[in-house]
Amino acid sequence: MRSWLFLMASLLVGCVGPSDTPSKVHDLRVLGVRLEPPEIMGPSCDGGIQANFALFPAPVTLTALIADPAGKGRALTYELRACASTDDGTCSRPGESTRLAFGTDAHDGELVLTTRPALTQVGDGGFLIQSVLAEDPFKGLGGVRMPLVLHVYAGTEEVFAQKLMVFSCKLFPGQIANENPVLPGITLPDGSAWLEGTPPTFTGRGAVALKTPDLAPYEVPYLVPSIQLLPVHLQESWRLAWYADHGAFSPESTGGVNGGGAVSANVTAWTPSSSDAAGSVRYWFVVRDGRGGMSWLARSAHFAPASKP
Amino acid sequence: MRASVRRLCFLVGMGLVVGMPLRAHAQDTVRREWVDAGVHVPVLTKPPALEHFVAAEYPKDAEAAGKSGQVTLTVTIAPDGTVSEAKVAEPAGDGFDDAAVAAVRQFAFTPAEIDGVKAAVQIQYVYHFELKPKPPPEVIKPVAPKATLQGVLYGRGRRVTVPAATVRCGDDPDAPEARSDAKGHFTLPTTPGNCAVRVVANGFDIFRAVETLTPNETLEVKYYLTPRLGAYETVVKGDRDVKEVVKRTFSREEAEKIPGTFGDPIRVIQNLPGVARAPFGLGQLIVRGAAPNETLTFLDGVEIPILFHLGGGPSVVNAQFLDKVDFFPGGFGARYGRAIGGVVDVTTHKGAVDAFHGEAKIDVLDSSLFAEVPISKDVSLAAAGRRSYVDALLPFVLPKNPEGGTLLILPAYWDYQARIDIGHTRKTGAGIKSSTFYVMAFGSDDTLKVVATGGGRNRDLTVSVQTLFHRLKGDWTFKEGNVTSVFSPYLGYDLANGNFGTLAFRADRYNGGGREDLTLELTRWMTARAGFDLKFEHIAGKATLPVLAGLQYVEFPGAQPVTEPQTLALYPNTFDGAVFLETDLKLGPLTVTPGLRASYQRVYGQDRKAFDPRLWLRYVITPRTEVKGSVGLYSQAPASTNMAPAPLGNPHLGDEHAFQTSLGVLQKLTDSLNIDVTGFFNRRYALVANTPANVVDIPFNNGGLGRAYGLEVLLRQEVTERLFGWVAYTLNRSEIKNPGDTAYHLASFDETHILTVVGSYKLPWSFEAGVRFRYVTGRPYTPILHPYDQTNIDANNYSGVPGAAGSARYDAFNQLDLRLERDFLFKTWTLAIYLDVQNVYNQVNQEALLYDYRYRSSVQVPGVPILPDLGFRGSW
Repeated sequence: MRSWLFLMASLLVGCVGPSDTPSKVHDLRVLGVRLEPPEIMGPSCDGGIQANFALFPAPVTLTALIADPAGKGRALTYELRACASTDDGTCSRPGESTRLAFGTDAHDGELVLTTRPALTQVGDGGFLIQSVLAEDPFKGLGGVRMPLVLHVYAGTEEVFAQKLMVFSCKLFPGQIANENPVLPGITLPDGSAWLEGTPPTFTGRGAVALKTPDLAPYEVPYLVPSIQLLPVHLQESWRLAWYADHGAFSPESTGGVNGGGAVSANVTAWTPSSSDAAGSVRYWFVVRDGRGGMSWLARSAHFAPASKP
Repeated sequence: MRASVRRLCFLVGMGLVVGMPLRAHAQDTVRREWVDAGVHVPVLTKPPALEHFVAAEYPKDAEAAGKSGQVTLTVTIAPDGTVSEAKVAEPAGDGFDDAAVAAVRQFAFTPAEIDGVKAAVQIQYVYHFELKPKPPPEVIKPVAPKATLQGVLYGRGRRVTVPAATVRCGDDPDAPEARSDAKGHFTLPTTPGNCAVRVVANGFDIFRAVETLTPNETLEVKYYLTPRLGAYETVVKGDRDVKEVVKRTFSREEAEKIPGTFGDPIRVIQNLPGVARAPFGLGQLIVRGAAPNETLTFLDGVEIPILFHLGGGPSVVNAQFLDKVDFFPGGFGARYGRAIGGVVDVTTHKGAVDAFHGEAKIDVLDSSLFAEVPISKDVSLAAAGRRSYVDALLPFVLPKNPEGGTLLILPAYWDYQARIDIGHTRKTGAGIKSSTFYVMAFGSDDTLKVVATGGGRNRDLTVSVQTLFHRLKGDWTFKEGNVTSVFSPYLGYDLANGNFGTLAFRADRYNGGGREDLTLELTRWMTARAGFDLKFEHIAGKATLPVLAGLQYVEFPGAQPVTEPQTLALYPNTFDGAVFLETDLKLGPLTVTPGLRASYQRVYGQDRKAFDPRLWLRYVITPRTEVKGSVGLYSQAPASTNMAPAPLGNPHLGDEHAFQTSLGVLQKLTDSLNIDVTGFFNRRYALVANTPANVVDIPFNNGGLGRAYGLEVLLRQEVTERLFGWVAYTLNRSEIKNPGDTAYHLASFDETHILTVVGSYKLPWSFEAGVRFRYVTGRPYTPILHPYDQTNIDANNYSGVPGAAGSARYDAFNQLDLRLERDFLFKTWTLAIYLDVQNVYNQVNQEALLYDYRYRSSVQVPGVPILPDLGFRGSW
């Protein structure tokens, strides 16, 4: 009992835990990958989802949000691959994966690629999407989810970022393909909107409270099939991840619903680290809708450790 | 100078001589009932008392040389009270030994009784020879008026009367003396004037006082005798021959004094061979590689639904209520089932029959009260209760929120036990039926409420969990001739209740059952044990849940959606019945015990049957050496939650099974020191394993496999006057193979070397010191490698690359715990103050690993640092 209490107390007061946290962006990171469209939906599930494969080859635009704050503008090598299994986190299994794009000219910022994953062929010439379906334990229920893995590297740093491309079919009336969420903005401590290109100044080493406008009007209801092929009514509950290249956020992610059904407000606070000097700070706010949709906002601000006398 | 003889009678050890080996062990009082695995075992209901004393002749040479001495004898008292044998246990030489034997052989005792029947017993007797100054020449005195000293003798600090004590005025051996009766009363006729009272009693220091009596006065006194140096009480214990290869038994006194266990009997088991160390000091029992839920714990034969308060707190049974704890790490008898690991059987004791006794304990986290009282000649009552106040203390250690708000963590628990015994003093003779009864009620309640609201929080949090159970159990023990029957029905109610935001669940479980244990001693070489074990339960389960991602629909990684709550309800009935039979066949030094347990279970409309044959062999090579072996099948039904209808569970799951074998040798090195060495191999199969979520299969299957093998060594010093302890060592390997695994790999609780050293010693001035040292190989874990960053961008999380399953181990664990206790004796009660210090040298033991979010680095989660605990206990 004493041991148990000691452990609980240690965790509660934060005695035990790693020092590196997600919101501190200090090296090469892929903070987000957005697909446009995030989901391609066939008009009918009659004949199974396979009957829609011929309708899927529309082009897909992939945009990756890459942060390389310590790279000083260096060129980054990238490779985009597709594969059959979500367990293949690097999309490197022979015969089950293929390269979609490669380049050496990526940089800190956004990387935009266009591809047609549904036309991807592997191994004996078969279409990858058929292999994805074969590997799927749910046999396409809820959509065929093709893993796309963006590999970005430079020097000794490398990141594999897996994003799922969803191919589905319409099983119930009212089902519509997903669209990427759009974050309406970020609200500064004084209540004003944080506009792109007009960096505010954060003075002092205290916490800076940030929040979003109410996202409820943007979170849409949607339908998915149950295991028994009945409609399940769900409602989006967006989650936000907060990042900065100096200091850290607490909490580092907001929004969403927990297991008890409680929805979180999107309120957080950014605190500079004690060693941060005056200068420009970059911020990224990545929103996820929980069904494959994603987008982000990037902002910057001036940081001044102490107010002028 | 003339020779004089002083006598002191110490009943320091008696072994029942009723056709079983003599064994000296420690127990607390003779009123206890010894129940072995639910079968009645003889109890000493009346100790012998010396009726006729014969003074020994002082050896002339010794007298001439001015020598004194004392001879310790082992005296066997026949059922009629005569001395049938007297042997010198500790000789004094110089002719004292022969003189003492010659005198003691002429002693006569009141017959001892076992279960109310006269029986042979064995005692130890210390005969003192002392030279006394020759008295001055006798002077004829006029007849003096008489006086009388009468009163009662009590044990200081314990409210027990002291029988069979000798009371006299002065040291003159010719002075009149009195002996206290069974209730401690004595009447000593003496002469008026000063009386230098001297009281000699078994287990107590010699008591001295000076009383002044006037002519014809009858002076009433109460004397409180001090227990001799606070020694461990050494009383009677009879052991049946044990068929199991390993059956470890220890008493409450041992359980209370082991450092680091905080007097918790279940935690004491964690210090025995075959039991892996649970992380974070939790109370899980991981026995010979089996999962914690594969070892069952019984309280007086009734299964306890939870072992510990709040998952890792004190056990739900008040330590003061227990009589003994039996632990079977494997190869247990056919009367036990529903477990494929081990069995723990906690036995409570009946209430006091002599006086009101009790104990109050105040600790940092909770307080408890235990009381036992005789209601009448044939009825006794014992009761205990405990209540925590952790909820009141936690706010002092929780962090404060600078923005205000509410943060409450309110764990609370209580438990109770009550037992009433009827008929335990009834005497019977040969051929006469005897019955005893008792009714036992026990239960516990745990609640944990967490409230975190306001204070700038993005999301309010309210969580509450409650676990409650009550049990009412009866027991009827009937004996006639060579037949003993124990029938034990019970009723129970369990509640599991929880809320987490809009999520809620409640499961009311009504259960009942009973068991019958019948023992029939057919011949001197054949004893049969048979019975049944029935259990029925009805569950009313209801839950308000969101639509279950992964079970009811295919979830997408990332933000969890908002769903409409749904209500799920289950009302399963479960019947689980078994019959069992064992037969002991004694073929000279070899005892063969075949057994069979056949069980039938019906749940969710599905039938399950199991036939578990078992065999035990015991070969007595010498009175001090025996070899034992066992082999058998064991079955356990899956958890009812795993058998729920799809998609939540799999109603077609079959029983889990284990094939257990063991072979051991027990060597008694001295009367109190023994060693046993046991090898074991257990194979577990048809274990319930998870089926990866998909649209074809249901969640669970019987595809799991496990195996464990190793060696256990226990060097044990039984409780003696001042000392007890043991050295336990386990060499173990435990492996599992789940569906999809290509080979066995180490189980998560595999610990190759487990060494535990436990000792407790009575020091002068009522101090007692205890020590526990443990060294345990670190548990295996699957290392997470980091060749690169790998992120699932939809879910916004990172993953590492898992290494080979179980291919790394945490650092080895070592820890020293100490305990110091001091008893303060008052007239009618005893105050004990104890300091229990865990991890004395503040070893940083690794209990787990925490990785950073990208799995680039990790930090060790340390175990408990040096942790003192101060407590107070008052008993009377």
